[in-house]
Amino acid sequence: MLPEEIRHRLETRIAASAHPRELVVDVMYELQNHYGFLNDVALREVAELLQLTPLEVEELATFYDFIYRRPVGRFVLHVCDGVVCWMFEEQSALDYICKLLGVAPGETTPDGQFTVLPTVCVGYCDHAPAMLINGKLYGPLTPEFIDRTLEELRSISCDLVLCR
Amino acid sequence: MTEKVLFLNQKFDRPATLEEYRENGGYGALALALEKYAPGQVCDLVAESGLRGRGGAGFPTGRKWLSFAGRKQGPRYVVPNTDEMEPGTFKDRVLVNCDPHLVLEGIILAAYAIQADQGIFFIRPSYEQDAQLIEGELNRAREAGYLGKNILGSDFSFDIEVHRSAGRYICGEASAQVRAIQGYRPNPRKMPGLHLTERGLWDQPTLVNNAETLACIPAIVSRGPQWFKKIARTPSGAGTKLFCVSGRVVRPGCYELPMGTPLREIIEQEAGGMLPGSEFKACLPGGASTRFLPKKQWEVPMDFESLKKIGHQLGTSSIIVFDHNTCLVAATINLLNFFVRESCGWCTPCRDGLPFMRHLLLEIEHGRGKEEYIPMLRSMAGQMRHAYCAFAPGAAEPVLGLLEYFEDEVREHLSRGKCPCRFSDAGGGFRRKQCLT
Amino acid sequence: MPYLIIDNRHIQVPRGTTVIDAAERLGIMIPRFCYLKVLGAVGACRMCAVMFEAGPVKGLQMSCMVQAADGMRVSTTHPEAVAFRRQIIEWLMINHPHDCPVCDEGGHCLLQDETISGGHSRRRYTGAKRTYPDQDLGPLVQHEMNRCIQCYRCVRFYQEYAGYRDLGVMGIASRIYYGRFSDGALESPFSGNLIDICPTGVYTDRPSRFLARRWDLQRADSICLHCSLGCNTVAGAHYRAVIRQESRENVRVNGSFICDRGRYGHAYANLAERPRQSRLDGEPAGWREAAREAAARLKRIAAAAGHSAIAVLGSARNSLETQIMLRYLSHHAQWRPPRFFVNGSEARSTAAVVARLDSRLAAGLPDLEEADFLLAVGVDPVNDAPMLALAMRQAARKGAKIVVLDPRPVELPFAFDLLSAGLGDLPAALAVLVKTAVSQAGTDGCEAQEKAFLAALPGRVPDEKLQGQLGQAGGWLAASRRPAIICGSAIAGPELAGLAADLALLLQTGKTPSRLFYLLPGPNAFGAGLLQRGSRYFPSLLQDIEKGGVRALLVVENDPFFRYPDQDRLHSALGKLELLMVLDYLPSRAARAAHIFLPGATVFEAGGSFINNCGLLQYAAPVHEGGIPLAQVSGGSHPPRAHAPAPGSEKCPSAYEALLFLANELAIRPPTMDASPWSLLPEDFPGQAELLAHPYPTDGLQLLPRLSEAESLQTPVNLPTSGPAAGALTVLRVEQTFGSEELSCYAEPLRQLAGPPLALLHGADADRAGVRDGEQLCFEIGGEKVELALQVTNRMAPGQLIIPHHYALGRAACRLPAVVAQAELRGLTGQDSPDLPQAITES
Ligand SMILES: Cc1cc2nc3c(=O)[nH]c(=O)nc-3n(C[C@H](O)[C@H](O)[C@H](O)COP(=O)(O)O)c2cc1C
Ligand code: SF4
Ligand code: SF4
Ligand code: SF4
Ligand code: FES
Ligand code: FES
Repeated sequence: MLPEEIRHRLETRIAASAHPRELVVDVMYELQNHYGFLNDVALREVAELLQLTPLEVEELATFYDFIYRRPVGRFVLHVCDGVVCWMFEEQSALDYICKLLGVAPGETTPDGQFTVLPTVCVGYCDHAPAMLINGKLYGPLTPEFIDRTLEELRSISCDLVLCR
Repeated sequence: MTEKVLFLNQKFDRPATLEEYRENGGYGALALALEKYAPGQVCDLVAESGLRGRGGAGFPTGRKWLSFAGRKQGPRYVVPNTDEMEPGTFKDRVLVNCDPHLVLEGIILAAYAIQADQGIFFIRPSYEQDAQLIEGELNRAREAGYLGKNILGSDFSFDIEVHRSAGRYICGEASAQVRAIQGYRPNPRKMPGLHLTERGLWDQPTLVNNAETLACIPAIVSRGPQWFKKIARTPSGAGTKLFCVSGRVVRPGCYELPMGTPLREIIEQEAGGMLPGSEFKACLPGGASTRFLPKKQWEVPMDFESLKKIGHQLGTSSIIVFDHNTCLVAATINLLNFFVRESCGWCTPCRDGLPFMRHLLLEIEHGRGKEEYIPMLRSMAGQMRHAYCAFAPGAAEPVLGLLEYFEDEVREHLSRGKCPCRFSDAGGGFRRKQCLT
Repeated sequence: MPYLIIDNRHIQVPRGTTVIDAAERLGIMIPRFCYLKVLGAVGACRMCAVMFEAGPVKGLQMSCMVQAADGMRVSTTHPEAVAFRRQIIEWLMINHPHDCPVCDEGGHCLLQDETISGGHSRRRYTGAKRTYPDQDLGPLVQHEMNRCIQCYRCVRFYQEYAGYRDLGVMGIASRIYYGRFSDGALESPFSGNLIDICPTGVYTDRPSRFLARRWDLQRADSICLHCSLGCNTVAGAHYRAVIRQESRENVRVNGSFICDRGRYGHAYANLAERPRQSRLDGEPAGWREAAREAAARLKRIAAAAGHSAIAVLGSARNSLETQIMLRYLSHHAQWRPPRFFVNGSEARSTAAVVARLDSRLAAGLPDLEEADFLLAVGVDPVNDAPMLALAMRQAARKGAKIVVLDPRPVELPFAFDLLSAGLGDLPAALAVLVKTAVSQAGTDGCEAQEKAFLAALPGRVPDEKLQGQLGQAGGWLAASRRPAIICGSAIAGPELAGLAADLALLLQTGKTPSRLFYLLPGPNAFGAGLLQRGSRYFPSLLQDIEKGGVRALLVVENDPFFRYPDQDRLHSALGKLELLMVLDYLPSRAARAAHIFLPGATVFEAGGSFINNCGLLQYAAPVHEGGIPLAQVSGGSHPPRAHAPAPGSEKCPSAYEALLFLANELAIRPPTMDASPWSLLPEDFPGQAELLAHPYPTDGLQLLPRLSEAESLQTPVNLPTSGPAAGALTVLRVEQTFGSEELSCYAEPLRQLAGPPLALLHGADADRAGVRDGEQLCFEIGGEKVELALQVTNRMAPGQLIIPHHYALGRAACRLPAVVAQAELRGLTGQDSPDLPQAITES
């Protein structure tokens, strides 16, 4: 169940909007951040808040890259596989990260900390190879840099969510 | 040093503040326009400046704005397009981070010119930090009276809100973006004979412009269209341009240079030349949706017309540089992976044809290619121009470039039954698995 | 009118015509997948590419996206266009499962056709195919997603055209998926159209799955009999069973689609319990033997008690031929004139409609689609006549304002204003609304009589909120240019029908010329209305039977027991008859009670003509011979399958033929035995002369007078605004989309969708009665129990208890009283002689 505070804030925004449907991505983000991912409960709540059907929300949720319909970890590592990063991956960052965390692309570590997702160019090509973690850009990636970054993240208590 | 229009206030380690922006004459153009020019006159200035859209298609900006005259009443919208998801492109990120108020002033001037009521700053999810920056600066602009009711005491009112995307390349396409904002599936939509400038957001006249395009406006208004036109290095160009250089160069980055600066000069001087041990093999001159450009052509001046003349496109002027070790078949596969994954799924050529083409290239790369695949690829890539939107034709460009300038390399894959390039061949796991969708 | 050249042939087409349609006019069928005329062009599949060689548009373009223009020269056979289309087909086929042998679409599949015609016959793609899981979409539509070619037709129909929101497109790129959020029955009552419009076998007809190839069906043009709209279908029979229906395009009626009640309602024709055996006094008898005996007994009764001791009851589901024959027979045998309605209110409403509808006023469904204001009164479109809702939605999509004035919690797939008024308040509320509109629009064009009529109309209803809403809606009506009034007959009585005609006429004299659209109780109620003239209604007949004045009753395709409130009275009255003769194809109670029973033929066997609610005569062709469906005698579902004919499966004569036989036996011969049924028409039948001039059968003739003979503006102006007494609830028996209508309620797949029997109550009434939403109401009437799931809603008018008819409700439910006290809701028991609804007792 959505906490009253979030629900109230969203309802107020929706009520003030001339075209509530415009807010659907924001509402999905908000519930996703609350629940960790857009689970079925969250999806139905989005639908109810905006007077859409679950199907209508699903049509959008499954279109977009940054809406997760399956559980993700506390940190989502969007590792760029765009062409610039690709040509710099002599020590493939994706392979390295996967090996380091012991997961395959798309998977989450058993402790629920990290999910690794290959992603299109994150717009940080001048710092290739690059990745995006919870809305923050990192690059150029080297094994040492990755080790350090993941270690830091592990020890951070707050979620550092800009967006997941 | 050449004249700076967009990076005038560049601080390198942080964005310029509102105060810094104003110290350098910022928001002067807005004050000038509100005081001296009728909306239509601003459109005329922009038309006269020769400014062409920086979002990829290069449509004359003034012409687009002038078409708003006589459009139906009711709310009008300006959508500064900061989706920027084309691989190799990051200029709008750098621009917004360098001088946010320059972009905002451009948006407000555009809004005044077409008499818009509301701006919607469309921004991709990986630029969340920039979205937050913009939101902060919007507040400052509002407090300073540049946004909101009766801007600078005039009777013009306008405000901007930020719309966060949930991430898809197609959301950068103007008509898809309009649908994305409305909360519909962002497939591009065309209605025969109807343009967004007539029926866009909520069926109202809507202007979609690239953020860089809009950032050019203050200078055009304050320093005059002729001045703007003349800073280009070629007669066919106008203004300056942000060039993103990435790949195997010493100093990858975003550089503001006059339109028409030769490609070689950008790579060798601005970007510091090739990385040690790397030789220039080819580049994509305008992002992932343009053709590989071989070394024999690298003296070309970078402007819309000069590139067009030799069969290339300026696109987003994002120069992606490949070196002699890179297998261009593999690079093309990487690019197609992107397009296959990001296709919106609306039309057949793109949705089903691109995976077919990628399949053919994968077969070639893995030594299972057949002679007939080359004409098949060429024909399919050619058919992409009949897709619904410009996405699929863009996706076909690298393939067409590969076949036009590097057919020998492709044939070598066939004759050797494997990839001939060191980069691709070297085993030992340094090239990662192709990430198929 | 643009003038263009396509494949060297010249054609002129109306402005706005797309090139793909212009070519079709020339008989050139440009390949297509996403384009469907009704849904418009979206340019998604890229299959319709042609070469524009000269004119304002140049090069290879999609012919669905380009409007014809002067000077265009188009080639559909240009090598580049042909090559491109072949390429499209190849791309579409890379993921297709090639499972044609087990696909029910096989043989009428657009993808098969275009693959062949595109010349794609060699597979060049060697990669893996993408596959999908399928969903359970309920009992009507089978889902097989792997066959999808992503043309978007289904979502565009389902969401944009029909306005339902539970089926759509998910995912992106080559992984897009068409379906629901999760497994479950499709919510749209138009879901079956997915089967017709999907160019592949993603959606196929579920009840007839794997039963037959379409080319093995006996197919013929038919008419839907499940409401009065008369939608056009193609019915397909196989091994003596009607197994599948499709929609048939008719731009004057249903357009391109039909509703699921119409598509799946045919199961009654194949029922195992369908009576096939003639019976004489309860014993099996030969058909001729039974029919001869019937004639003999009729003669005997006429001789003993006079001709008028014989009465006839037809129905609104009789074909027009049958109705004509009934009328002819009773006229010449000097029996009482035929009745067609058991329910007196329906008879009178239909009479009013037939008297008032003329070509000045009548709107068809396509006219409603073009209206800019629709006022529906006493109508619940989705439940009463589903395709009406689809037509109204098209008006709404074009911006029409829509207002529904009804006691029910009407739900529609588009935005509209529901004005809740109790049943008794409908006429007054309608009058107030129209009066507001006419007064606002100005009465300049009105004659004195019209002004007087207007002045006499009530200006207010007691309910303040409703009054405000009526005023607002009146304003919309006044501002509209193409309004129409839609008037139902299922719950409201004849006063409403007459008033609606008067008000439409009044509006026609003013600035907002309104059209009028009635619904009627049955597929040929219009015919019944025309032929019942001069006869009194069934309730009075019942009295005559009780008093002994009527001794024989001939019932043709009707079941008086079906909904008659006082079942005991009916039972005892019919028991007094010397002869109850029933002719029907349904296993009805009356059929079981008959002294002489003759099995009948359904429309699929007999064919026949039907007049729809707008006065349009339409012909349904016979589809097959009939007889007992062949039974499969081999095991398993895989061919080869062996079937065996059941014994006694000869075809049954149609009602018309049976009556003709009877006429002969009674020595009443029509002019010639094989003369057109039209030659038996009474002279006062509208369009009689025209019909006679037409060969038989005739299809598509409008049987409406140019001007109604009835005097206009004749309504009594002191309209009731009567609610039930305080503490009492008016009981409203209403239709439901599925599971209530007489024929389609036999269809198992529709029964599955009907839900449990319901009772609906306004929140305020529920509070007063102390009942809650979801509670089970249990009434005991005459020793039988009626159980209803209570739904409480504030979207309905207070003061009513709405109980939809339902196949699962027994006889006792017919006897629910017309009014119940709130206090009785927690258990209505021991009603020996319930108060009959007024509408039914009236004669
Ligand atoms: C697939 C696709 C993606 C696009 N992405 C962007 C984008 O990220 N930013 C942008 O400004 N224009 C993008 N465009 C171009 C827009 O459709 C549109 O032409 C542009 O925003 C207009 O602005 P301009 O005239 O200032 O260039 C894209 C076009 C296509 C076909
Ligand atoms: S080319 Fe077609 S499928 Fe591809 S993005 Fe454009 S509309 Fe979508
Ligand atoms: S399911 Fe049928 S109608 Fe829908 S997109 Fe696929 S092929 Fe087209
Ligand atoms: S709307 Fe009526 S006539 Fe039309 S298909 Fe449905 S039930 Fe049949
Ligand atoms: S290609 Fe990796 S950030 Fe652009
Ligand atoms: S039929 Fe024209 S694009 Fe599909």
